[in-house]
Amino acid sequence: MARAPRYYSADDVPTKKKSFKPKPAKIRASITPGTVLILLAGRFRGKRVVCLKVLPSGTLVITGPYAVNGVPLRRVNPRYVIASSTKVDISSVSVDKFDDAYFKKAAKKSAKSEKDFFQKDAEEKPKAELPAQFKQDQKEVDNALTAALKKDALLKCYMKARFSLTKGQAPHEMKF
Amino acid sequence: MANLMNKQWLHEYVVVGRKKPTETEPEQPVYRMKIFAPNQVVAKSRYWYYLRQLKKMKKASGEVLGVYEIFEKDPLTIKNYGVWIRYKSRSDTVNMYREYRDTKISRAVEQMYMEMSGNHRARWSSIQVLKAEEVKDEDCRREHITQMHDADSIRFPLPHRVKRAYLKKHRGVFKAKRPMTMISK
Amino acid sequence: MGFARFVEVGRVVLVEYGTGFGKTAVIVDVLDQNKCMIDGPTTGVARQLIAYKRIALTDFTIEIPRGASSAQLEEAIKANDVLAKFAATSWGKKLDKQRKRAELNDFDRFKLMVAKKEKSRLIAKEYKKLKKAAKV
Repeated sequence: MARAPRYYSADDVPTKKKSFKPKPAKIRASITPGTVLILLAGRFRGKRVVCLKVLPSGTLVITGPYAVNGVPLRRVNPRYVIASSTKVDISSVSVDKFDDAYFKKAAKKSAKSEKDFFQKDAEEKPKAELPAQFKQDQKEVDNALTAALKKDALLKCYMKARFSLTKGQAPHEMKF
Repeated sequence: MANLMNKQWLHEYVVVGRKKPTETEPEQPVYRMKIFAPNQVVAKSRYWYYLRQLKKMKKASGEVLGVYEIFEKDPLTIKNYGVWIRYKSRSDTVNMYREYRDTKISRAVEQMYMEMSGNHRARWSSIQVLKAEEVKDEDCRREHITQMHDADSIRFPLPHRVKRAYLKKHRGVFKAKRPMTMISK
Repeated sequence: MGFARFVEVGRVVLVEYGTGFGKTAVIVDVLDQNKCMIDGPTTGVARQLIAYKRIALTDFTIEIPRGASSAQLEEAIKANDVLAKFAATSWGKKLDKQRKRAELNDFDRFKLMVAKKEKSRLIAKEYKKLKKAAKV
């Protein structure tokens, strides 16, 4: 044990508080860009998707690709994902533009007037269209990815199929 | 049986101690003792327990110079061990000589404690290990030990087998079917 | 009804519990009615005391002296090729199959499923053909 110092101040010495800066999140080693993931939660549960990028917030940018199994470009929580050992070559996919800001939705109008409320019922609002830029990005990623998936004869079929467990399979004892 | 598990219960220690030197007697004889104990603390305690029965000294008047563990030189060959003990039965104090086969002397002593508790209801506190050492094949006296000596004659089947789960965590409390234990091969 | 598999020095055994699970080893010494010393220098089973409860006896034995060293044993195993002989038995084959199945990853399982479907499709096709031929 270290010896206590001889001098001890009678007054409280104010210490400067260290400001907390969040570090970029660590993600398990099995998830890398190009890893085939199995989604476990949400609308797309059971789908096999490709991990494109790990964001500093700790979420993963993934896509089905949309053309293959209907999973669009989106962010997922790595906790709700099984990382398989299968890798897809995604060197041809440009992922630079995808960051947390890219996926942020425009803030919804919070203040609702009475008029708006009744208007909603009266006339059907047109369904919100996806921005054209997003569609364009999805198309580009899909094209590059499907080309990469074609390298293995069964890989595209595999991505299309949903994951499920059958009798006698214990997920904690299986290799992925 | 404790020695089936990998964890060892007992270890062999050598404890060295003497009476504290005084001005009138600066030179004190040093006593060394082999002790089988679960750890060094117990080993020192047993050292004083045995020594005060043999010599006019006790913990308060003495000092321990060192406690060392002795490791088996060859823990991968099977040997015979003789264990000489003295134990307090319900009516008497009895001396005994027992033989065991094992790879380590401390495990042989473990076996002895297990067996004594099973066969004679003798506790740790009522058993004193007087001596424990390796015994050559030809010097073994007990039949259950000598029967394992002739390599050519050891040949026996395992007629009754219970199929077990390969890990303890897979072991269930209940089974849907009775196990098939008859092995005809 | 005689027994064919015995606990004896040189008996090839299969470890059925613990770290060496699923690996073959050889009895090098017999401790008592409960335990023996096994060693598997070629299969990665450490020399150890093991209870008979945790091993299964196979049909094979090799000639080794009691308490043979790992090097001696390795030589005897290689000379006899006994582990290959065991692997060729239906028991050995079953173990190998189980091991292979356990090592499949998700994509491999998918490929297997596709192959199985293809197989049964071909069988069904052939079956229909034969059935048709039998009717006529």
